[in-house]
Amino acid sequence: MNAGMAGWKPALRWLRRPAQAACIGALLVSISAFAATRPRYGGTLRVEIRESFDAADSPAAQRLLGALSAGFTLGQWEPGRRAVYTANDNAAGGRPFLDSVEIQMARPVRDQSIDLGLDRADVVELGPEQLRREAPGRRVWVSAPVRVAAIVFQARVEDARIREALALAVDRAAIHSVLLQRQGEVSGALLPQWISGCAFLFPGAADLARARLLLASVPVAARRLTLGVEDAAWQPVADRIALNARDAGLTVILAAPRAAADARLVEARFSSSDPARALADLAAALAFPEPPRAASPEALYAAESALLEGFRVIPLFHLPDAYGVSPRVKGGPGITPLGEWRFANLWLEGGRP
Amino acid sequence: MTFRTRLLLIFTLAVVVSVGMVEWVVSVTARRAFERLESRRVDALVTQFRREYQRRGAEIARAVNGVAASAPVTEIAMASDYSAYYGEAASLAAAHGLDLLELVAGDGAIISSAEWPARFGYKEDWLAAGAWNSGSAFLRREELPDGFTLALSAVGTAAAGDRKLYVAGGQRLDRDFLSTLTLPAGMRVLLYRNFDPHFAPADLIESAGAARPAQAERLRPLIEQVVKRRAELSGAVGAGEDAETFHALPLSGAENDLLGVLLIGSSRRELAQMEAFLHWTGIIVALAGILLGIALSWWATARITRPVRKLVDSAEKVAAGDWGTTVEATSADEIGQLARAFNRMTGELVAQRQRLVQAERVAAWRELARRLAHELKNPLFPLQITVENMQRARDSFPDQFDEVFREGSATLLAELANLKRIVARFSDFAKMPAPEMQPVDFNRLAAEALKLLEPQLAKAGVAVKLELDPGLRIVQADPEQMTRALRNLVLNAIDAMPGGGALTVRTMALPHGVRLEVSDTGEGLKPEERERLFTPYYTTKTHGTGLGLAIVQSVVSDHGGRISVESEPGKGATFRIDLE
Repeated sequence: MNAGMAGWKPALRWLRRPAQAACIGALLVSISAFAATRPRYGGTLRVEIRESFDAADSPAAQRLLGALSAGFTLGQWEPGRRAVYTANDNAAGGRPFLDSVEIQMARPVRDQSIDLGLDRADVVELGPEQLRREAPGRRVWVSAPVRVAAIVFQARVEDARIREALALAVDRAAIHSVLLQRQGEVSGALLPQWISGCAFLFPGAADLARARLLLASVPVAARRLTLGVEDAAWQPVADRIALNARDAGLTVILAAPRAAADARLVEARFSSSDPARALADLAAALAFPEPPRAASPEALYAAESALLEGFRVIPLFHLPDAYGVSPRVKGGPGITPLGEWRFANLWLEGGRP
Repeated sequence: MTFRTRLLLIFTLAVVVSVGMVEWVVSVTARRAFERLESRRVDALVTQFRREYQRRGAEIARAVNGVAASAPVTEIAMASDYSAYYGEAASLAAAHGLDLLELVAGDGAIISSAEWPARFGYKEDWLAAGAWNSGSAFLRREELPDGFTLALSAVGTAAAGDRKLYVAGGQRLDRDFLSTLTLPAGMRVLLYRNFDPHFAPADLIESAGAARPAQAERLRPLIEQVVKRRAELSGAVGAGEDAETFHALPLSGAENDLLGVLLIGSSRRELAQMEAFLHWTGIIVALAGILLGIALSWWATARITRPVRKLVDSAEKVAAGDWGTTVEATSADEIGQLARAFNRMTGELVAQRQRLVQAERVAAWRELARRLAHELKNPLFPLQITVENMQRARDSFPDQFDEVFREGSATLLAELANLKRIVARFSDFAKMPAPEMQPVDFNRLAAEALKLLEPQLAKAGVAVKLELDPGLRIVQADPEQMTRALRNLVLNAIDAMPGGGALTVRTMALPHGVRLEVSDTGEGLKPEERERLFTPYYTTKTHGTGLGLAIVQSVVSDHGGRISVESEPGKGATFRIDLE
């Protein structure tokens, strides 16, 4: 029990931050709505996600779908396309209000928003663009920042001056305010401030003059690298990075999807609010050596600094999970601050009493 | 060069020059007509381009102003935070048919860019500075992620209270724009984007895409001239059927900076084909003219030169000694008159020759009679005196008669012998035998002949100098006759130097024979004497038969050789015999 409470503490710290006022407000509204509305049984919650999983028991699928096992059992599985979880009458916490949860996989974010607007989905992921746009009656669930967007260099980019120059050239603030619509946080650290408490020690501000100075000593022919983008949603960010790099005197060419590139713009997720575990998660996701277990804030800072030393990875932003929710979905919120699904307490409008 | 050849050349030249002049005149006239037509076509295309350019500009200005007045832009202008609108430009550009569109805040910061979405937040200082034409389109160099492009742009503004928002939009001036121009056959349009300080072949495009590098290089001088002078220019590019005339139009931006050059090309293929046709027609006509000239000249020369040829042949016969040659004179023209004059001339020559022969014959007989009389008179006088002495002695001094008779008889015999010798010499000249040829060393022959004459030479006080060429080759000759000829020349030289002198006998190798020279230091010969020197019975001396040099000439002639003499009065004489 104590261990469970310890896990919630960082989330509570995050909730106390002024920047999350809107989220807190939304949660309060949901809570008051829950109190005012009597839960009803039945119905299928339609959820759409970008990712696709070939097996329900794969680690990636478990990260997202594993939380459903508390109240639901897997009923149907169409690899990479669709999954249906049905309510478990014998669940430890009692039977969920919903009869089932239908998950549509590999659905582009833009299409998900359309489906939500056309009432073909109940819960969809929101990108920055969709998050900005107001939709009548739509509710939004936003987690704490649980993903880090970063540029990761391949080993063949040996010149640290080029890596550092790119780190200094990227105008994170402009990307954050425009392309990400101020979602998440600008950061030069791997772990977000709400987890590590020391993210502010890793600078993330652009310094074009220093970037140019660094590149001045690099041969012109070497001032060139390719940047791969794993998710098309990140393409505008990659374009802006290329533009910033050009201002510094570095030619960044965006590589075709799945093509070999000198560096990649990636998104990595941590699934624990424990700083040490979160750092280990990120190191594993970025294919870095596992950092030593940090028992103190100083050790954590040292471990994170060691990972960032040499600019093999350039953290850019910490991003939350955001979901658009249909007005017919009641109860919730359906996600935890770490972005895990909690659908057992949700019900749908029009269900049986 | 024969008259026939000359006539042929004159005919040919006349035909070729005439055809060439006609061809030149036709070519020049056709070229001028073509150039006038081409100029009109280029002018029409330039006008069309300008009209299309203005129409596009007006359309773009309307579209941009439409965007500026649209509700979304008004909403953006009123917004306190522009960050939410960074994707608006793309949808607005698509809705208003613009290739390029940027929404720019009053401070010049890009809110949204359709052509380069990543450039949000970057400054467009030229907008804030007002460096653009309000209400009309202008040419502008736009930077895109993949390079530069030329665009026909316009700027509109939207205002919300005291806040201002710029809307800068336009359309690319690229191959698609070029393809909208309606071009007559044989014409094309290219556009050079003046993006670099130096000529860049990749910046030259046409409606089909980038121009070929080789073609770009050919147009380079014209483009560079236009960029340098910022004025419309025309020039021909290429050669033959690939030749084109290009009219280059400078395209300037809002700040009067030269951003591009429009090149309107007109193919000269038709002109080249026409010129080639004229050229080959000219060649064929000229060849036909030459053939006709040959035929005409053949016919004309046959008519004109045949009697002339006959005259030439007859003249050559006359020159060869056939003085009685005549030509047929049938025509009444100048050639006929010439033939008749020729016939009169040859007739006169024959008559004169006969008269001359007769006169010479008479003169020769007279000379012979004079010489004979002279030669015979000398021995006859002693004979007469001796006989008279003998008669006088028998009548007046009978006791001394025997002695007188004995002496007189001796004198008579001597003079009779002299008479006999004279007669024999005349007889010898009349009957010169044919030479008996055998190898002869002329060095040895000359030395031996002089040795035999040493007493006479010594007596005459003549010093002898023998200059023999050791490289002299052996030649075929009659040694006896040649010795006789040399002896005659030496005796002649002795006679020419009555007071003594120097005699030089010289041999010399010739490429195909030998030369024998006999030089004296005597009085020399006058020209008229030289001419008659080898005439039989002619002599300048008071004694002699005048046959010596005639015999020498006869001997040399019988050997197939040649004798000549060089002499001037007071400078001696040199007789030269050349034998092969």
